[in-house]
Amino acid sequence: MTAPAKPRFAPGRASQTLVERSPLRTVGVAALWGIVALSIATLLWMVLQAFRDTRSILGDPWGLPTSADPTNFIHAWTSSSFGLATLNSVLATLVASAVTVGLAAPAAYYLGRIENRLTGFLSLYFILGLGIPVQVILIPLFVMLDRAQLTDSLLGLNLAYIGLAMPFNVFLLAAFFRSLPLELEEAAALDGANAFSTFVRITLPLARGGLVTAFILQVIGNWNETLLALTLLQSTEKYTLPVALISFLQQQTYSGADWGGLFAGLCLVVFPMLVVYLWLGRRLTEGLTMGMSK
Amino acid sequence: MTDILPRPEAPAEARPASPGQRPRAAAQGSTIERQRRRLLVPFVGPAFLFYTVLFVVPAVAAVWISLNAWTGSGPMTFVGLQNYTAVFQDPLYLKSFGNTLLILFVVGIVIFVLAFAMTLLLRDMAGRKIIRSVIFFPHLVNALVFGILAGFVFNPGGLVNTLLRPLGVTSPPAWLAQDNLFPLIMATLVATSTGYFTTILMAAVDRIPPYLFEDCALAGATAFQRLRHVILPLTWDVFGTCAVLWTISSIKIFEIIWVFGGSSGSGIPPTQSWTTAVYTYVTAFSGMSTPAYGAATASAIISLALVSVLVILLRRLMHREAIEF
Repeated sequence: MTAPAKPRFAPGRASQTLVERSPLRTVGVAALWGIVALSIATLLWMVLQAFRDTRSILGDPWGLPTSADPTNFIHAWTSSSFGLATLNSVLATLVASAVTVGLAAPAAYYLGRIENRLTGFLSLYFILGLGIPVQVILIPLFVMLDRAQLTDSLLGLNLAYIGLAMPFNVFLLAAFFRSLPLELEEAAALDGANAFSTFVRITLPLARGGLVTAFILQVIGNWNETLLALTLLQSTEKYTLPVALISFLQQQTYSGADWGGLFAGLCLVVFPMLVVYLWLGRRLTEGLTMGMSK
Repeated sequence: MTDILPRPEAPAEARPASPGQRPRAAAQGSTIERQRRRLLVPFVGPAFLFYTVLFVVPAVAAVWISLNAWTGSGPMTFVGLQNYTAVFQDPLYLKSFGNTLLILFVVGIVIFVLAFAMTLLLRDMAGRKIIRSVIFFPHLVNALVFGILAGFVFNPGGLVNTLLRPLGVTSPPAWLAQDNLFPLIMATLVATSTGYFTTILMAAVDRIPPYLFEDCALAGATAFQRLRHVILPLTWDVFGTCAVLWTISSIKIFEIIWVFGGSSGSGIPPTQSWTTAVYTYVTAFSGMSTPAYGAATASAIISLALVSVLVILLRRLMHREAIEF
């Protein structure tokens, strides 16, 4: 691992001079590509199995589907009520995420822009929620929503998601608003715009990127949320997708395995996330790592 | 997320100066400043209300419930700390607590070692963007999916065993036997969480200016010296943040345990693989026995205490003078 003998000081090649060649590194690089191949293969395998019937999956787990027969998907969508569950999931996901960002953005703006003792206290108040595990509020929240007749209701689930998401969103967006330049707002103020219209007409459009990121992160979180949904929802027609999947899995112990249907259900859970990721990948990774590397 | 704990001292310039010493230049901004301040209630109010009613009130109520014996309906009986002493005498809880600690520390350390190794490898490797995109994706997938897939990969006629058969393994271990589940769960957690932390660490390493690495090369530093004197000190704070993040998220692990390896008849996973989150849920909502809301909540509060202590310790331990670069 000595410095390379040949001088290579041409600009742009700097990073190459630093690449070390050692057997350990070769093994590591091979392992990384192996992991990549394995991950993609797993995803592909899951999709392919969703097109086969249970008997052939069990007979030969490595087999390929003989035709693009969507029976499993149709069956899962209709009779296993994954269709309704998907709809519920979409509702719980989009409504809660939109309301969350809508409520968190003005609060985050205020807390991010004005620094005094009160906002310091309020920021701390919101941030403390980040460290509270969801199981702490599970039972009191259930009791509370039950008394308000909001259990087994998508409205109740949405409310729970909104409350739970406040700390992270206020935290993320406050950091984001702080990173926006003040100059435009000051210019608007000089032009006679009041503080409210400055926020609506200047700051919000500037912050669109951050707001969309927060929204998408929330969509991902709510789409995958399981524990609260499992606790708050009781009737099949209210189930979100993860709860429907769990209930489908439990029925199998009585009605026999339906692996084809199960794989179709798994695809329904994973696919929207894959689409979002392929569409917004970079912004997502940046959003999820934002403020952490700072 | 470096701000999880209070950092009360904001830079003095950022604070509004007191009226007596306000510099003249700031006077212009004072109108909008004053107007902005009036927005406190309409701007912060709604978020405050939702958060307080749906999060803070339940969290405070949890402390109260944990001090009572309560089945959810009927009267509550105040029992003081009895729920806490009771859960610590419950072998099921001790097992769950042990498992949670195993995930927190063993899985956590393995994830961090792997993620850091991967970060170093990926730093100047061809195709790093592709690899990063692929290893990050599991973070977006519900852990249920991995639990269910594992059931298929490891079942007696599943992928692993059909692979082992040609290799001469005729009697493979019973992967999904109750005692083997938890190690498999831990392995699955490592496999599915490492990519996320690698992505965060990569972002931190990427912020190190390249000239520092060039200096290392010119000075003839070994890979280890470079790691010890450049990379580690400059990414130390991000390590701390990641550790806090892992502490908070690992304590909530529930769904992967709930479904791992398929479902048992009762729908409740075997007790050998419970975590404290599973313990809380089962104790309150399983429908198998009388719900014990007090004990269930006490178990959750203990988790919260564990998180708090660890986060404070981590902040102390990982705190270094920030290096500006």
